[in-house]
Amino acid sequence: MGTLLQVSGVTVRFGGVIALNDVSFKVEQGEFISLIGPNGAGKTTLLRVITGTVAPQSARVSLSGRDVTRLPTNRRARLGLAMTHQIVRPFHSMTVLDNVALAAGHHRIDRVLLAMGSFDRSEERRRAGELLETVGIAELSEKSVVGQPLGVLKRLEVARALALEPKLLLLDEPLAGLNHVEAARLADTVVDINRKGMTVVMIEHNLGEVLRISQRLVVLDNGSKIGDGNPEEVMRDPAVRAAYIGKEKHHAAP
Amino acid sequence: MGIYEISLGTVICINIILAVGLNMITGFCGQISLGHAAFYGVGAYTAAITAKAGLPLPLALLSGLILTGLVGIIVGLTSLRVREDFLAITTMGVGFLFLGIVRQQEALGGELGVSAIPAHGMGKMGFFLFVLLLAALATAFSLVIKRSWMGFAFDAVADDEDTARLLSVDVPAYKLAAFALGTALAGLAGGLYAYFARLIVPDDFGFITSITILSMVAVGGIGSVFGVLISTVILTLMPEFFRFVSDYKLLIYGALLFAVMRFAPDGLAGFARDIIRRFHAKGDGG
Amino acid sequence: MLYLELFIQGLIYGSMYAIIAVGLTLVYGLLRILHVAHAGLFALGGYLGLLLTNATGSLILATPAAAAAVGFVGMIIYRLCYQPILDRPPYVPLIASIGLFIAMEEIYRLIFGPYGLTYLDPPLQSQITIVGINLRTAEVTMVVVSVFLLGALSYLSQKTRIGVAWRATVDDPQIAASYGVDAVKVRYLNFFIGSGLAAVGGIFVSLLSNLVEPTMGGVPSYKALAIIVLGGLGNVTGTLIASLVLGVIEAFGTIYVGDLLDRDAIAFAFLIFVLMLRPTGLFSGR
Repeated sequence: MGTLLQVSGVTVRFGGVIALNDVSFKVEQGEFISLIGPNGAGKTTLLRVITGTVAPQSARVSLSGRDVTRLPTNRRARLGLAMTHQIVRPFHSMTVLDNVALAAGHHRIDRVLLAMGSFDRSEERRRAGELLETVGIAELSEKSVVGQPLGVLKRLEVARALALEPKLLLLDEPLAGLNHVEAARLADTVVDINRKGMTVVMIEHNLGEVLRISQRLVVLDNGSKIGDGNPEEVMRDPAVRAAYIGKEKHHAAP
Repeated sequence: MGIYEISLGTVICINIILAVGLNMITGFCGQISLGHAAFYGVGAYTAAITAKAGLPLPLALLSGLILTGLVGIIVGLTSLRVREDFLAITTMGVGFLFLGIVRQQEALGGELGVSAIPAHGMGKMGFFLFVLLLAALATAFSLVIKRSWMGFAFDAVADDEDTARLLSVDVPAYKLAAFALGTALAGLAGGLYAYFARLIVPDDFGFITSITILSMVAVGGIGSVFGVLISTVILTLMPEFFRFVSDYKLLIYGALLFAVMRFAPDGLAGFARDIIRRFHAKGDGG
Repeated sequence: MLYLELFIQGLIYGSMYAIIAVGLTLVYGLLRILHVAHAGLFALGGYLGLLLTNATGSLILATPAAAAAVGFVGMIIYRLCYQPILDRPPYVPLIASIGLFIAMEEIYRLIFGPYGLTYLDPPLQSQITIVGINLRTAEVTMVVVSVFLLGALSYLSQKTRIGVAWRATVDDPQIAASYGVDAVKVRYLNFFIGSGLAAVGGIFVSLLSNLVEPTMGGVPSYKALAIIVLGGLGNVTGTLIASLVLGVIEAFGTIYVGDLLDRDAIAFAFLIFVLMLRPTGLFSGR
């Protein structure tokens, strides 16, 4: 097993504010890491640097040993990176199934000219159906995305990301907005995906689920990394506790 | 069919090629373009000048199409830098820029345009059938694109381009493809127009023309090929039906444009979809 | 000397652009709509101002009256045209606005004739000399009045309650609403002021050329659209600066690139150039 993701020296500045300050960490293949920290710590920004959506002041990002720092987002996706959004972003003009089928067809839309000449969507639709089964929303396949409840859309995000056949799955607060039951169910689905070999980095505030399912925690506070290790040790770290207490009492573990 | 009807039919077909092309850029791929007439103009001028220089019709048309596609890609590059409202104004600016340049160039005839464009030699009926064939091919082509994986990728880009990137869609490449294809069609239409009218002036390709083409797409229902087809026919014929009140035709045109956007923004296609849905609902319920 | 004269000419035109562009950017800042029909209000102001001046003999009476009337028309346009389609994709209000503008131009043509109207006794036509340059009183007055009106606008937006409410609504509609700001009143005020300013602009342009004609709104407004993009959509100060910059660039541009490009296209060439370097305009929004 090797290092799948290596992130070094990430610094991001928005205007005058330093969002991330020299953050580094690495992810081994097969790991399940949760990225935690108070609101505004820079967690989403860090994920966005990894996907290439945000341009950092400085950083080195490498995927499976290959430097992807200069690559555009779509190339990183092709190299095995997938991300779900904190605020869901399904394609409103498509059905639930087609949202996933598009992603499943990622090798078909690789080359623009080839895409012009290929028409068959049946294979991708079939795979999409399977993925919708995995996340438990297969019965909604033909429905429009518009008007679906959050629980459904969150799971759609995950199915769509999986359709990319990624090596590394980045999840930005997949459980936010879900009730207790839905959250536990989606968390279990994610654990299952990880057990089958997918490397996962998850941002979550729901510390209850985080502590239950993560193997390793990386903690950010105010743009800097203040913790990195196994959950029990990290949560005992006074610096980590200080960061949480006073900022997020209501998100503390039950 | 009299000469008048043949001419009208020819104009309708040229407009169809224009509208179908713009529909690809704005409808399929979601890139708003207020300067489509500029590409129409590039095609027309290119074909006119090459024809006068001695090139036979097929080559003149082809050179118009290719050159316009290339210009379209260059303009498409601007769509990679700016989005939505900025893109709308930029494309509008491209339209004015084209006019501004063409008006000042003596080589392109300046304000007086290009005249004495050679005859196509097909006779009025023959040319009409030729243009009809090309319009049908253009329409078929756009339907093919829509059903293909390129069309699928376009849907994603038009819907949410940042998410499309995350799903491995090479958004810049697709935008450029949309511009290349859509503008090449406009270039073809321009060349056909040059042969049809045998005289082209800068004002033929101004902002109002861009808006006219855009309205054919909008009234039809942005993205819908059949809607655009029907609305193009209607909007081209409309000034003819109102000939007896020809003085009012631009007013009716503007009012129609306004009314459709205000009351039925999904255009004819949306209207048709509503009716079909209501029909089905009645069928299930009653 | 030539340079100074060009520069002053540039500032004069710039102040005219500013008066038109501010209304546009006010609407965009609040509603994210490209209010192309603004051009029609500009022309309406010109017509009303001229008619009232001819009727009463007094420009000083006519101008505020015309501005107020056009302000009201602007508010009506907001209520009937834009308000119902605010939640639609951006091309819907844009095309609706364009249709409205075309219709307005045609209405003016049908009512007042295509050749336009002139002043019976054109006011402010005398020459005055400032720093050795000959200018017409109308030009100087335009600059002075623009400065005054825009200054008053700035003062109002900072020192009066309704002004602060307006700025709050532009910055963050939800927070403003939670403080009890009536968003609807703010919008009406927005359109009233913006349209009134456009009317004043129309009157001044009519003084400069002693003519109002149906298409007079077109070119200044297309340029105003370019200006508000340059200034950063929604950014009033940026728009003012961009207006003046554009006026000066045009004045010098016609001398230097006049062979390549006609005057009106310079604005757009400049716009495209800037946007390629800075995709969000010279200054970013707000």
